[in-house]
Amino acid sequence: MSIIDDVLEAILEGKKNPSEIASELKLDREEVEGAINILQSLGYVERIEKGSNACSSCPLKKVCGGSCVLPKSRTYVVTEKAFSLKNHSQ
Amino acid sequence: MAMKVVALAGNPNVGKTTVFNALTGMRQHVGNWPGVTVEKKEGVFEYKGERFLVVDLPGTYSLTAHSIDELVARNFLLNGNPDVIVNIVDATSILRNLFLTMEIFDMGLKNVVIALNKMDLAEKRGIKIDIRKMAETLGVPVVPMSAKEGVGIEELKETVYNVAHGKVRPNPVTPTYDPDVEREIRHISMALSQTELTERYPVRWLAIKLLQRDDEVMKLVLRYLGEEKLKEIMGHIGEAEAKYGRAMDLILASQKYEFIDNLMHRFIRYTKSEGINLTDQLDRLLIHPLYGFLALGIVFYVVFKFVFAIGLPLQGVLDDSFSAFGEWLAPHIASETLRGLLVDGIIGGVGAVLSFFPLVFLLFLSLSVLEDVGYMARVAVLMEKLMRKFGLPGKAVIPLILGLGCNVPAVMATRTLDEERDRLVAMFVNPFIPCSARLSVISFISGAFFAKHHALVAVSVYLLAIVVALLSARFVSTFLVKGEETPFVIELPDYLIPSWKTVLLHSWERSKEFVQKAGTVILFGSIFIWYLSNYPLPVGTGSSYAEKIGMFFEPYMKLMSLDWKAAVSLLFGIIAKENVISTYGILYGSADALVNAMTPLQAYVLAVVTTLYIPCIATIAAIRAESNWRWAAIVTVYMIFVASLVGITVWHLGSVLGY
Repeated sequence: MSIIDDVLEAILEGKKNPSEIASELKLDREEVEGAINILQSLGYVERIEKGSNACSSCPLKKVCGGSCVLPKSRTYVVTEKAFSLKNHSQ
Repeated sequence: MAMKVVALAGNPNVGKTTVFNALTGMRQHVGNWPGVTVEKKEGVFEYKGERFLVVDLPGTYSLTAHSIDELVARNFLLNGNPDVIVNIVDATSILRNLFLTMEIFDMGLKNVVIALNKMDLAEKRGIKIDIRKMAETLGVPVVPMSAKEGVGIEELKETVYNVAHGKVRPNPVTPTYDPDVEREIRHISMALSQTELTERYPVRWLAIKLLQRDDEVMKLVLRYLGEEKLKEIMGHIGEAEAKYGRAMDLILASQKYEFIDNLMHRFIRYTKSEGINLTDQLDRLLIHPLYGFLALGIVFYVVFKFVFAIGLPLQGVLDDSFSAFGEWLAPHIASETLRGLLVDGIIGGVGAVLSFFPLVFLLFLSLSVLEDVGYMARVAVLMEKLMRKFGLPGKAVIPLILGLGCNVPAVMATRTLDEERDRLVAMFVNPFIPCSARLSVISFISGAFFAKHHALVAVSVYLLAIVVALLSARFVSTFLVKGEETPFVIELPDYLIPSWKTVLLHSWERSKEFVQKAGTVILFGSIFIWYLSNYPLPVGTGSSYAEKIGMFFEPYMKLMSLDWKAAVSLLFGIIAKENVISTYGILYGSADALVNAMTPLQAYVLAVVTTLYIPCIATIAAIRAESNWRWAAIVTVYMIFVASLVGITVWHLGSVLGY
């Protein structure tokens, strides 16, 4: 098992942020973030849009000056590909 | 003579655009890559009398075919015949960046130059990179740079020139995998050899991509070798995967990562405590399950303290100014009806709301600073942990935080949740999160009734709303909609000093909406409320429409010790929450009259009920649009019930405690 496998497994197990994963796997946070980027490239996780879609399709867009409070985080969700991998290994 | 072509490749956010701009200056052209809506930037630079065409490729982490950006970058590297490939690598996160470098090396491309950017930042973090050894290990020239400061640009031009003219001949290292994988690569390479494909593409790269089940390469093989051969190769790959018990793309990526890790140790060393930078140190505290919440409470207490300390005196000045303007205007209007409408209705109602502009602006300013610093992302992580404990899907945290600004886009943002169950739960809970409109009401009540502890009162109302939201999540996920959660991960940004220009601009954009609303919804609301409170007879006679409507609800309001005026205010608050303030402004005439008419406990109950009682009409419409009428009705009825329950409880509890 390598960093990439371990990180994917940690996400599938329910670890929710790179710091948490890094601390469990005794890695640097940036290594974990790097692994997440690679997993994204491979199609195992995908980035979800936060509020930008909601704002652009909001019915109040014309009158709204931009009330949306958007945290600068990036959220990734596990894809079917990762699930099938998990199910396959079980 | 045709210009030499230089391709810029790199991960997102490595400073690729800065390097591109530094190289090309103003000589740029922006268009689209053929057939796709991916931006293509080209520019020209001159060096030693020769012109070079620079093509900025989309930022990618690898060169698989999962995204259009990756495909565009890959196709250009393979088919665009660049004379030099400048791979921009972030010196502060080499491991992640070299993954793309190895993908380029896998392609068998030789003319590669590494522009090692952000060297200044790497040094600050105690990352020591031996440039000579790095170049030796990787087999390509490495140019250390700090593109933002303009450091290394001339050296990069010189290196590009030398490589383009064959004065420097790079010999990139070939990423290797374990013996079993290498055997698979050889096996597939043999199957592919002696076909036309190998004349156009590096055979080793084709084999690796087939092992990864790359759609585009599979299509190529199908076209050149036919279905039978492709089936045979894929069958073989399937057998290999079965042997490993894992997908080959994951195996290859893992081994590539290990390969890079091994190489890195030859040229990189960390002189400071690696990984424990300021961000990590702060995160240990700020996303800690216990200290994190304490810190959150303190942060928001400080925010409200700041907002009230500066905002309330300004609010007082504005309020006095509107009153003085009304007093000045009144004698100039002969018609009693018009005078009442302008002075009591419009200036009294809209002015009462507008006087809160300083508080709203300061709160948005504080939120923008917290956002820009990166703290709101930590709030998301903290809340997510809490929400999961209460049965709310963790991913709903983003819509919930959006709700601090406005509940309408927050409800729309529940679309990002995959499961119907998650969406319904998030929509159910979302309206409990106090939006900026409710902030005006909370500020109004805290400022008017709790001179000493206004910040504490405001934080307590927010806290109560969050507790109610969490308990509601538990209720709805237990009794109404059940399901399982999709795993996800939140990546946090580094803490940064905020850009004041961005923060001020953002705060103004958000606050502007408040003024616009005062000039539209609140204005018409105020006129209507003034009419209801003066016809057919003025308030106080018991015959005004407002009193009649309010009296109908008063027995219910009395359960939480509120009167008919509260009923009318809350009713108009459904259109826009700020109407609660304007209605009070019209019904009481002045803030002093209101303060004399209510006890602090009654005011607190009003603040709590206003925060919880019902979403505004736009939010109800958004819930209906995102689900159905039934769900919108359930949410509305539930909120009225919960607000009443909490209001009655707070009133009785406060009375028992002697408030």
